[in-house]
Amino acid sequence: MKTISDTLQIWYHELTTIMRDKGILIFILFVPLAYPLLYSYVYTNEVVREVPAAVVDESGTSLSRRFIRMMDASPDVRIHARCHSMAEAEELIRRQEVYGIVRIPSTFGRDIWLGNQTHVGLYCDMCSMLYYKALMLTATNVSLEMNKDIKVRHHLHATTGRQEEITRMPISHDHVPLYNPQGGFAAFLIPPVLMLIIQQTLLLGIGMSAGNTREQSCGSFIPRHRAYRNPLHIAMGRLIFYFLLYLLLGIYMATFVTRTFALPQLGGYGTFLAFLIPYLLACISLAMVLSALVYRREDCIMVFVFLSVPLLFLSGISWPGAAMPALWKYVSWLFPSTFGMNGYVRIQGMGASLHDVLPEFRGLWVQAGVYFTLAVLLYRRQIRQATLQNV
Amino acid sequence: MKDICKRLRGIFRRELRIFAHRPLFLFTMIVAPVLCLVFFTTLMADGLPTKLPAGLVDEDDTHITHIVTRILDSMEETDLVALYPSFTEARQAMQRGEIYGFFYIPKGLTEDAVANRQPRLSFYTNDAYLVPGNLLMKDLRYACELGSLGLTRETLYGKGLTEHQAMGILQAIVIETHPLNNPFLDYSVYLNNIILPGILILIVMLSTSYTIGLEWKCGTQRELYAMSGRSPTVALAGKLLPQTLLFTLMFVLYDVCFYRFLMFPCRSGIVPMMLLGTVTVLAAQAFGVFLFGAFIGQMRLSLCLCSLWGILSFSLAGFTYPVPAMSPPLQALSWLFPLRHYYLIYVNQALDGYPILYVWPSAVALLAFLLLPCTVLWRYRAAFLKYKYKS
Repeated sequence: MKTISDTLQIWYHELTTIMRDKGILIFILFVPLAYPLLYSYVYTNEVVREVPAAVVDESGTSLSRRFIRMMDASPDVRIHARCHSMAEAEELIRRQEVYGIVRIPSTFGRDIWLGNQTHVGLYCDMCSMLYYKALMLTATNVSLEMNKDIKVRHHLHATTGRQEEITRMPISHDHVPLYNPQGGFAAFLIPPVLMLIIQQTLLLGIGMSAGNTREQSCGSFIPRHRAYRNPLHIAMGRLIFYFLLYLLLGIYMATFVTRTFALPQLGGYGTFLAFLIPYLLACISLAMVLSALVYRREDCIMVFVFLSVPLLFLSGISWPGAAMPALWKYVSWLFPSTFGMNGYVRIQGMGASLHDVLPEFRGLWVQAGVYFTLAVLLYRRQIRQATLQNV
Repeated sequence: MKDICKRLRGIFRRELRIFAHRPLFLFTMIVAPVLCLVFFTTLMADGLPTKLPAGLVDEDDTHITHIVTRILDSMEETDLVALYPSFTEARQAMQRGEIYGFFYIPKGLTEDAVANRQPRLSFYTNDAYLVPGNLLMKDLRYACELGSLGLTRETLYGKGLTEHQAMGILQAIVIETHPLNNPFLDYSVYLNNIILPGILILIVMLSTSYTIGLEWKCGTQRELYAMSGRSPTVALAGKLLPQTLLFTLMFVLYDVCFYRFLMFPCRSGIVPMMLLGTVTVLAAQAFGVFLFGAFIGQMRLSLCLCSLWGILSFSLAGFTYPVPAMSPPLQALSWLFPLRHYYLIYVNQALDGYPILYVWPSAVALLAFLLLPCTVLWRYRAAFLKYKYKS
């Protein structure tokens, strides 16, 4: 009975102090609500279309013009300028008016008529990989398409329509980009970032609240309040407060944000909730442990904010986990965000069941257990120190 | 003049004493940037991720399909890790995150191909993980094309054509891709050149707001004001000078590491990049001073804004998802981020080695950041005399 009433009192105390503190509310309410919207808005166009390119057509034949027309007609590339020389085209790259040059050699038409191979040069400015990808894929597609035409029209003449089709493509193939059919940037980046926001704002919010308490109660990060006696109760009380709040925020992200920006949503709500619970527990416990390091309320901003960028890369989402050195892989297991982001992407984006994300799910429970115990031990030490000082 | 120098020296020494008493400064100013440098450069040490795990579903299982398998396995970026008996099992492995893509060979492929019935090959990539998905797509697609062309080539050889003649028929147009200045598509060059300076800019802005705010928080702002001889300019200059030196040195360390040890392309020479680094540090500091001045007395709010700005700059710099593809309001907003201008100047200088005149708007914008503090100096004067720290 004592346990429950103490825990509830701690929960209520946390609730009232934090609701009065604008600084913490910014991090635990405003940022999780607004940042996903802002971030999704930045990437909401998903793909890059009509990348400007310059053409140097030294051939000037109907075939080379056809090549250029097909490039221009593709969704991803736009022929911005037709130049007379490479120097002229390079000037356009310098001015960043175009991001690539297509150079068609003077022998282009003659080579094709003679049945020789001809080489089209594609020069890409490497300032962005997406530009390179658009230009390279489009040029390759156009060349493959024209190659098929040349094969049938000039060399292997067919008698029926069906035969022509087979000669063009003896084995046809298709590519299915699963779970992100448009190859979009938002669908790839936003789901993991949502999970990262949960962890980072918890670190900031709980850290700031601990720093606040330290400033008010002479260096102890446990408030002077009669309910704050048992370390287990303190950890439980805090855990319940943040858990309930973030459960709502998590649901908001998985439903409202996901629907508003049409992000992939294949997973069941039940699976998502079952996964969110250990993730929140692990994040809150980790935040409680790390908050012991915060001595002033503003310190946590200095320590935790920049961590977001390395954590995103540690997760193996933007940088494939298969190409990650072993050491960093082990380090990544220390943070709930690694498991959280991967699990969430697989559940929401790929329709995985809880069974499919079992390693992540277990990892989160282990983290939650370990960090919670650690938090309780830290609180106990702090309470002992405080009593010693008072004596 | 002599008097001002003396005052600056006094404030400079006082600042060093403050640093010496706080381990937090040691962490954010030295440990964190160096740790990030080590982390990101070792994480992407391979340059381009290779040997990405992929799977194969071979329902046909003939010697022809085995050739395709061997081609796939010999490719640079593909590592065939598993054979799955059915499509469903391969998809489940993808959902578990074991593979990033798989190749599907249907039953009867060889028979249909030999009998000219145009069979169909399929490959599936997981584009929820965009980078490995795209890289695998390139390889799997190439294997499909090769399979198809190989079949026609055998027919042509059968008709008595030489290899030279056959290639002219099969692949009349060849695209030669030239990724300018980053020929190996090195992701380390592409990402680290911007991410690490981005993290540094974030840390510089936070440290600036934090150190200035600390004066108000500790109630020592009047002491500082007296030392400066009642000049906000002298007070701020003396206060931020130690950080300017430290962060500039850090930038020089980054440049030396990038362009001397890791041999990233640097066509402009290392000195312009160091100069750019110095101006960027100053711009970030100026921005921090401006934000603190605009929300004077509210250290926490300015720190929040600095974090928001710093984290958002990774998106709005446009090195992953290009700015011209974003919606117009965001394109305008991107001008307000120092990292955006750093990125454009870096591409112009180190990556491409063009004259700086081509990016004069960015150079001017970066210098304009340095003037921002002038607009809020009057607020500082009032703040030194009146405002108190509000928690």
